[in-house]
Formats: sequence, C-alpha cells, structure tokens
Amino acid sequence: MEASLRAQRTAALLIFAFLSLLAVSSSAAQEIQILNAERRIDLSSQIAIVFLTLKVENTGKAAASEVLLSFPPTEADHLAEVKAQAASGKKRKKTHVPLDVKPTDVPDAPKGAKCFRIALLNPLSPGETSTIEVLYMLTHSMEPFPAEISQSEPQLVYYRDSAYILSPYRIKQQTTFIKTPSTNVLSFSRVEPTNRAGMELKYGPYEDRPAYSFSPVLVHFENNNPFAVVEELVREVEISHWGNLQITEHYTLAHGGAKLKGVFSRVDYQSRPGASGVSSFKNLLARLPARVHSVYYRDEIGNISSSRLRTDSRKSELEIEPRYPLFGGWKSTFVIGYGLPLEDFLFESTDGKRYLNFTFGCPLSGTVVDKLTVKVVLPEGSKDPSAVVPFPVEQHMETKYSYLDVVGRPVLVLEKKNVVPEHNTLFQVYYSFNPVFMLAEPLMLVSTVFFLFAACVAYLHIDVSIRKR
Amino acid sequence: QLRLSVNAARDFTLRIQRQNRASPHSPSPPPAAAAMASKPVTAPVPITWYPTLAVFMLSIGLLITASFFIYEATSSRKTRSLPKELTTGALASFFLGFGSLFLLLASGVYV
Repeated sequence: MEASLRAQRTAALLIFAFLSLLAVSSSAAQEIQILNAERRIDLSSQIAIVFLTLKVENTGKAAASEVLLSFPPTEADHLAEVKAQAASGKKRKKTHVPLDVKPTDVPDAPKGAKCFRIALLNPLSPGETSTIEVLYMLTHSMEPFPAEISQSEPQLVYYRDSAYILSPYRIKQQTTFIKTPSTNVLSFSRVEPTNRAGMELKYGPYEDRPAYSFSPVLVHFENNNPFAVVEELVREVEISHWGNLQITEHYTLAHGGAKLKGVFSRVDYQSRPGASGVSSFKNLLARLPARVHSVYYRDEIGNISSSRLRTDSRKSELEIEPRYPLFGGWKSTFVIGYGLPLEDFLFESTDGKRYLNFTFGCPLSGTVVDKLTVKVVLPEGSKDPSAVVPFPVEQHMETKYSYLDVVGRPVLVLEKKNVVPEHNTLFQVYYSFNPVFMLAEPLMLVSTVFFLFAACVAYLHIDVSIRKR
Repeated sequence: QLRLSVNAARDFTLRIQRQNRASPHSPSPPPAAAAMASKPVTAPVPITWYPTLAVFMLSIGLLITASFFIYEATSSRKTRSLPKELTTGALASFFLGFGSLFLLLASGVYV
C-alpha cells in the first residue's frame, strides 16, 4: 500500500510538471516577474520553516498593488502560518514592515494549488523592484521512513518539495537551500546544479523558469529531534471578577515520528541513553506567565509528581515529565492547571467594555497542535462577547454551570487547527459587564442563610397543639 | 547579495525564535488599547484582605446568631417580638453570607 501511495503521488507530481511545461497564457499575474528568489528551508525540528526572499519587478504598464504566492496541494494542507514583510534599506540599516497575507483564489492556477495574496504597502510602479521576505511553516511534512523503527535505530524521514519555487510568476534566478539537523543525509534527488556541504543542500541557481514550474525532489535524512504532537488541546480560561483567572488545559500528547517496532527495553533505554531511543523524548517545557500560582499537573490516575516549576519576575517555566518516555506512536493524556492574577490580563477599555488579553496557543514549546480549542468562560451576567484574534479561528458560544450559578456563564469557544508555536500571540475577548451582577453571588448566600433563620422563626411561632394553651 | 539574504534569513528566524522564547504573556495591554489608556480590572476588595474579612465577618455573624438563639430560648410566647427576631436574623444572615463568600474566596474557590 505504501508503494502504490508513493506511485500515485509521483504520478500526480509528474502530471503537475507536465502541465507546467505547457505554455501558460499570459494573464494579469504575468505582469510581475521575480528577478531573484532565494529559499531557505530549515528542517531542524519537526516543523519545516521556510524563508523566502523575493526580488520582485513590475514589468507591466499598471502599478501592482499585490504579489501572489502559491503552494502545491500537498504543502497547502500542512501550511500552518504564512507571514510576509517588506525589506528596504541596505545592510545594517534594513527596515522591515509587516505585510498583510490573505488566501485567495486565482482562476488560472493549476488545480489544487493554494494561493495567497500579499498586499503591498505602496503600489509597485512599472519598472520598479521591491524585496519581499516571506516566512511560512509546514507541519507534518516530514514523513518517517522507515515507518517503524526499533529502539536502537535513529529516526529517518523523507522531505518532499520542489527544486523550483512554485510561483505564479516567471523567476529569472532562483536558489534553494535545505538545512538538515545532522550531516547524515541518506539520499537526495539531484536536479542539476545540486551541491551538498555538511548540513546544507543547495539546489540551484536555476535560470529563467516559467510560472508554475515544479520539479519534485526528495531528501531522506536523519532527524532525531522530538516530534511532539499535541493531537488535541482544550484550554479553558475562567474569569472571576473576584480576582483570579483559572486556566485548565487538557492535553492529548503523541509522538508523531516513526513508530516503535518490537518491545521497549527499559534496561537498554536507561543504560545506554545515547544509543537507545534517540528519537524519543521524555520531558517538555511549558512557558507560563509570571505570577502564576496553584500549578497542578495530573492525569486520570492522579497527580504526576515528575515536574519542576521555576518562577521569576518575568516568566515561569514548568518542566513536565510524563509518566513514561514517549516513543513513536505512543500517547499520553494529562491536565495542567494554574491560576493567574486578574489585573495582569483583564482590562477596561474607555468605552466601558472589559476585555481579556491572553495568549492563544499551546504553552508547551516546540510542539505542533493538531486541534486547539480555547474556551473563555465569562462571569455570569456578561453580555455581547466578541473576540479579536490575529488569525482566522472558528467561534461559537456555549454555557457552563459553575460555582453559585443560576443562569450559567457564557463561554466563547475559539477553535483552530494546525497550530505552531508562532501562534502563541495575544488575543482579546471583549464583553460588557455591569458590576452590580457581582453582588448576585453573596446575596444568594445571604438569602439562603436568611431562609434558615426565617424557618426557625416560623417554627417557633406556629402553634400545632390541639388544646388551647 | 546572497550573504545579505543569509543574514536576513537568520535575523527573521532569530526574531521569531526570540519572540517565542521570550514570554509573550507580557502583562501589558495591546498597543491599540494602550492608546485608549485602558486600566486593569481589579477585585472590588484587595485580595490580601480575604482571609481577615472571612474570619471577622463569620465571627460577628456567629455572635449575632448566638444572640438570636438566646433570645428565642429565654423569651416566652407573650414577650417575643417578631420584628426583633427578623432583624436579628437578617443581620446574622448578612454577616454569615458575606463571611462564607470570603471564606470560599480565601480558600481558592473563586466563585
């Protein structure tokens, strides 16, 4: 099945390459051409980080206000984040201005290619050139091969890409550099000129390639860095106006690399750490905000004591060790919870609305989250919740019944797939709250106790005797 | 030109890595809101007072409860006055209610 899947994939790529050789009719996209493109692919961790530098020239007659980027269908599914910035200036005095990147539909793109539109700050006038830097990240793009390894073997992975940068524009000159985590590269496709020096593979320079040209390459190399994948993460942020923010995170952690074949020998693992289980990982680091209190780390069995919390004035670090080291295909589920002071994260804006300013994203560093759900539980009596998040997420509302609740607390649920550490940025949730509603809780307690006293009084005043006293 | 983009690539990735490594949970309002001079929302009562308030309010509440029950026990049906009973009960329930709220807050159950 593996062979037929590979055959299908190469067949698809060959058809792609054939299509690209057909003359592409000139369209609006052809008014721009790329003079020089340099792509640096960093494969050191489980996330492929690609840095693209494009020197774009406007060859048309009209000013160009946007530049298009395109990705092949296999990459488009695994794309976690695309960022662009405009570089100007020389050498040390370079300034970078971030640019807006949005997915878009280009009608004449080959089928399956996903396109993004970069909006330029100043439209590019005819004949002018500009340098744009693009950073994008791909998750699950390194396929472990062999798919199953024993405890004493290193982990080898395939990385598939194209020697030519897929672009809707003609590229005059382009080079691709691939950086591998170690010098052990078993094989790599050759698309001349190709060179390899230590940990870096160089494809290029290639001259004058037409738009949408594609030449698949395959690199087979050793990558023992931890493939920590959080399959599902549910983060619940409960706001209490009495002064605390309680966060509970439910993790389903898995090792996303080559699966372990055969038995796991604890003796081998502990006696020869450098030669046994090199691709496994046993601890993870969670970066928490400063002034965190009541941190707990437990799972369904109970508390997990193998953790260390180090706090300082600016940040806290929680180093956790699951109950067993994680080898390929193994999973672990646990809960991490902590409390934070309210004044660090809840603010009141000038229009009277309150907002929560918190981080979106997994606090575990170096992990990829397949599905992230952030639930913000607002206090009872909050109205009109709305979220401002720097990237697209799916939102919906729920209700949660917690301590001393009558009508329930509104919960704003934000969901996102394919989250990388890049997404660990701040987001805001705005809502309006009348401070009078805070009294609802103590008044509920007061009225309960008063009901008991009234019952006492009533009991003492009622006369149930048959004879007149 | 190639060397320039090498450095640029390194700078970009270093900046991203530094962003990830440095705590992004800096307790400062977002730039747009900072311009609006947003102020942090704090609890209505300073948090450090919670245990003290709990102890005092509960003890006062229990004293008034004691006085209520003493009044009930020592008075006879004729000398009893309903308004006095109800006011004592209301006062006791007010102090006990707020005292138990502060007790819950002081013990970490942030309701």
